[in-house]
This record gives sequence, structure tokens and C-alpha cells, in this order.
Amino acid sequence: MRRSLLFVLLALLPLGLIAAAEVPPALDIPTTEAPTAAPQSLDAERVKRGNAVYDRYCISCHGVEGDGRGYSAPWLDPAPRDFTRGVFKWRSTPSGSLPTNEDLMRTLTVGLFHTNMPSWGVLGERNLRDVVEYLKTFSPAWKEQAPAAPIQIPAEPTNDAVSREKGGEVWTRLACASCHGATGKGDGPSGSTLVDDWGHKILPHDFTRGHYLKCGDRSEDLYRVFMTGMSGTPMPSYAESLSPAEAWSLVHYVQSLVHEEP
Amino acid sequence: MFLAAPFRGVISAVALVLAPALAHALPAFARKTGLACSSCHEVWPRLNDFGQSFRDRGFRLEGGRDAPIEQPGSYWPLAMRTTVGYQWLRQALVATDGGTTTTQTGAFGFTGLDVLSGGTLANKVSYLVTYTPGLTGAGFSQGPQDGDLESAFVGIHDIGGSSWANLRVGKHAIDLPIDEHRSLTLTQGYNVYHFHPQGSAVTYEPGENQTGVEWYGHSDYSRLRYSISVSNENGAPLSGHWVSTPAVWAHLQGTQYVDNDLLAAVTAGVFGMSGWHPTAFQVLTPTEGTAAPVLGTGSSFKAYRRMGAELHLTFLSIVFPLTASAVAFTGSDDAGLIQSGVRDGQFVGGFGELTYTPSLRWTGIVRYEQIRNTQAGSDAAPLATGNLNALTAAIRHTVEMTSRTELAVHLEVSRSAALAADGTAPSTVTGLAGFDFAF
Repeated sequence: MRRSLLFVLLALLPLGLIAAAEVPPALDIPTTEAPTAAPQSLDAERVKRGNAVYDRYCISCHGVEGDGRGYSAPWLDPAPRDFTRGVFKWRSTPSGSLPTNEDLMRTLTVGLFHTNMPSWGVLGERNLRDVVEYLKTFSPAWKEQAPAAPIQIPAEPTNDAVSREKGGEVWTRLACASCHGATGKGDGPSGSTLVDDWGHKILPHDFTRGHYLKCGDRSEDLYRVFMTGMSGTPMPSYAESLSPAEAWSLVHYVQSLVHEEP
Repeated sequence: MFLAAPFRGVISAVALVLAPALAHALPAFARKTGLACSSCHEVWPRLNDFGQSFRDRGFRLEGGRDAPIEQPGSYWPLAMRTTVGYQWLRQALVATDGGTTTTQTGAFGFTGLDVLSGGTLANKVSYLVTYTPGLTGAGFSQGPQDGDLESAFVGIHDIGGSSWANLRVGKHAIDLPIDEHRSLTLTQGYNVYHFHPQGSAVTYEPGENQTGVEWYGHSDYSRLRYSISVSNENGAPLSGHWVSTPAVWAHLQGTQYVDNDLLAAVTAGVFGMSGWHPTAFQVLTPTEGTAAPVLGTGSSFKAYRRMGAELHLTFLSIVFPLTASAVAFTGSDDAGLIQSGVRDGQFVGGFGELTYTPSLRWTGIVRYEQIRNTQAGSDAAPLATGNLNALTAAIRHTVEMTSRTELAVHLEVSRSAALAADGTAPSTVTGLAGFDFAF
């Protein structure tokens, strides 16, 4: 009996170490990633391995050519990302910039909520970094430019009535309601006419549903989207027209629009 | 159709060999998620790590679109699978009135049919139903079979918000080192999952789905998993215990990604079970009949146990892996469970398996299995009776594997030989060439 118990305990020891070593989904994107002055050449070995990862897991939606025309694409809403244009909705970098490696890793690791893009964190960091490298082969943009430095996100001020009131004023000034509607439900007068750069119909986000944002539902995620925009969509960057304090107020106002659970 | 008795014997043997082969693979999941089958299957139907995680999470991607209400009304989670083709069978030392002979036959047919429905009933509630219809006068078996619900369970997931607390209730697959229901071989399963010491009354086989409850949990990426399954012993007479013929199976498995160019991952695990089988019943003897046990009166439980360990080395990459697996298994049945038993019946066994998937199209597999009795429960037969050697090799070419359908050309040959009480070792060689497909 004692020997059996010892056997089980010895077997459990490495398994405990495995559990401790498992890396949870990365939500925090480093904002200090150093920008590279020039485009980086691709790592051929990573590209080769990333090609294999892509063929197994990604090709059905994003297609052989990375153009978002995989065989499952016609049935998917929103449409899979077209990598050939080098345009990415979710970035920590300024509008018009390529995303950083960590941005792409974040999308792969966390997934995009309420889309067909799941979390691929199961595959492990090595495979995900390999496929990030491979994705860069689809667009010449990666040969022509380097990702800019991630935007800086200042510490969040207190979310109080004053901040929310200021945010409401910003909401009005920027005419957010024209797309997102007066109550933030995504039913603004322009909402039904919006299309993305690929001509796909696109709906403004319904903020009343609360914590179900594709690009993250934390305060800093909202701040980031306001200041970087969502390239390829009608959602612009307001980095030029908002001060950090105003952007935080807008975050607080948008968060106050939540009034129902989905 | 009338068949000569010896031929019926041959065919029955084929049916037995093929019976556990068909299993779960659900194109319905791929249609729901848009993902290719290759996302979840190293090679269909074997799961890769992403597929294992999807299964552990209760057929959910956890991206906000798992609940049925998120799907178009036209989506209907149904799938089917079967294998059609030609099977060749050669058996040595087959008994006939004229003495033993070697038989050889071949037949066109199919292996059976699985009709599956699975998915979510609510955001954190899953289900799976697998119906295998009775197929009279058709298939390789050429004989009637009983229809059966191979699986029927409801799963409740992330209880208390933790992935370590999940529950399946109903007929479910036991968590095994390598899932026989997703075996890459079609003519021979994993014999050790079905082995019993000679003369044992025990009917519990971990390779068969069991009716009961499974409590299981897993880490975020299913690199560490555990499962505890409490079930009734399939086919055993009902006892007077509140769980008639209780059997408890436990499995703990961990995977570590190594991430170098040679060794990609290591998986290790331990498993074990204990079951209790009644050996005494009150009986009822009908007029001019023979005594029959009265259901619900079983008592004098005797125990049987299985335990073992597993090691899987994944070489090259987890994407297109070369996997070497070794599973060791021991078993012991109490003397009271063995006909004319004077001591516990014990055995050791296991298998080694090499699987290589160099691309999405090709997979090769070789498996060698050996089982040895280490202690005979009775003196009625030699210790070695039932000792088994089996070798199986298969090549599988996937023709189509999209988010809609799966189609593979399957070529396989297997040989097994089990020692008989007279010291001979009748062998069976089976060849199969066919199309394995699911929709």
C-alpha cells in the first residue's frame, strides 16, 4: 500500500510542475516594445514552421493565399482577416501602422470575442510565433515598413460622475451617436450603411451589451481602440482630436452605457 | 441467407474484431465553428491538443458563440460515419469436424454506422448522442446486430467558474491513455482495454463506453487533466447495492511542451480502476425451469482492479508529429470472480505505438500489443491460456478534410494470436482496404 502511494505521489510531482508551467492567455500587451527603424527580414526557419501551422489550423478561414477566402469564409461573419493588405483591426500601434508581434500574438492567444477566431493558446508560444512570422509573407507591407511603437496608455483616472459627464460631451462632439446610436446600442442613422475596406457590411458595436468587445473589455482596451482606431473599418483613430484625459472620460462614458446583459 | 457453421464462425470473429472500431468524429462541429477538421484532429478521428481542449471544454471554443441560440436556425448538429470497402480474413487452427484447418475469405461490406449528434444545449452545457443502428444482413459481419446508444450524456462545465470542475452524466467514454473510440486502426482495437483473466465473470471493459457519471477537470490548455468516472459494470447482473455493480476509473495525464526541433512534447499519465462484482444471488426457479438470479439481490462483492501508466513522446512538432506511445497495464480479478478460482487471476499487458503524420494527407501507424497472464485464477487451464500478441499496421490517405466532410482511403493489415488451453496459438490475419468517411 505504501509503495503504491509513493508511486502515485512520484507520478503526481512532474504533473504538478507541468501545471505550474502552463502559461495562461496573455492579456497584457507590453507598451514598451521597441520600434524597429527598418523592416525586419523574416526568419526563414520560423516561416517554414509557421507555414505548417497555418496549413493545419488557419487555412480553412484565411485561405491558401492569406486573402481571407478560405473554404469556410463564405459562411463566416465577420469575414476572416485578409492578410494580403497588411491591415489589422486590433493593434497597439497608431493608425496606419502595422501591428507588433505581440499584438498578433495577443489576437492568436486570446482570440476575438464573438467571432469565429478562437483562442489558439493551446498550440504553445513557439507555434504561435512561427505562424506570426508566416503571416508576414502574405503582404508586401511587412517588407516596406516596420511596426511603429505601441501607443502609451496613461494610468486610468478615477471613474466618477464628472469623468462620465465629460465623456458624454466628447461622445456628442465626435458624433459617435451617428454610428453607435444615441444610447450606444449600435443603431445610429449611419450604422446600416457601413462597410469595411473589403466591402463587407459592418455593424457598429452595441455598447449596451457591456463586456463583450472583440478587442478586449478592459478600460485600457477601450482606450486603445479610441486612440488607434480599427484599421480597415469605419472606426477611425481619435489620437489627433482627443487628449488622454478626454479619451479616459469617453471610456468611462461608454462603460456607463451598459444596461442589459446579453 | 444460410451460411455454413464454420463460415459463420469466421464472420462472427470479424464482427467481434470490428465492433469497437467506429467512433466519434463530428463534421457537425466543423460546420458550426468554420474550422477545418484538421484543427481538432491530428488525423481524423484522432484528436490533437486543440481538439482535446475543445472536447474537455464541452465542445466549446469559449468565444461567445457556443450556445445554440448563437447558431443559425438551420444549423442541425448531426453527423454520420462509416467505412466501406473490402476485407480479407485468414484464420489458422479453426476447428472443424474434420480437425483444424486454415480458413481464408474476403468480403465487400462496411463496418457499421454511427449516427452522431453533439454540441451544446446551453452556454456551459454539452451533450453527445451516438446511435449505432442494428444492421441485419449487411456489413462485413453479415449478421444481425443490436442497435445501441453508444454514447448518451449531458455535460455541465466550468462548475463554480473553474475548468477543474466538470460533470458528464450518462453513457460516456472512459478517459483512456489513447482513446479507442478515435483509433486510427479499423480491424483491431486495443485488446488490453478489453482483457480479462481466464474464467473471470467481470464484464467491465474500459474500452467500452460506461453508463455513469464522470467528474473531470483540466488546466486552461488541457495540458494537465484528470478524470474520475463512476459507473455500473456494463452487462453485469443487478445487485442489491445502491450503485449496482460499481466501478471507479481514475486517470491523471499531463503534457509538457518541449519545443525543440527534435522533441516537441512529452505526455505522461497514470490510471487505475477498481470495481466490485456480486458473486451471490437469491434465485428463482420456475416450474420445470432452471434457477435464475433475481435482479437486485446480488451480494458478496468481490473486487477487480486495473492500473497502469503511459508515456507519449511527440517528435518533430505537434503540428505534423511523429508520436511514440507506450502504455503499460496490469490487472487483477479476485479469486471469487473466477470460475473454479483458487487464487486471484492476474495479468500484465500493454502496447507500443508509432504514429507519423508528415502532412495533412498522410498518416502511418504501427502498433504492437502483448498481454501475459501472470497468475492463473484456477487450475483448469494453463497459466499462459489467453496470452496474446497483436500487430497492426495501417496507412491512411486523407482525400478530403474540410469544415464539411471527411474522406480517407484506409489500408490496413493486422495479425493477432491468443494462446489456447491446448497450447496452440490460433491466429487471425485481417486486411482491409476501404473508404472511411463522415459527413
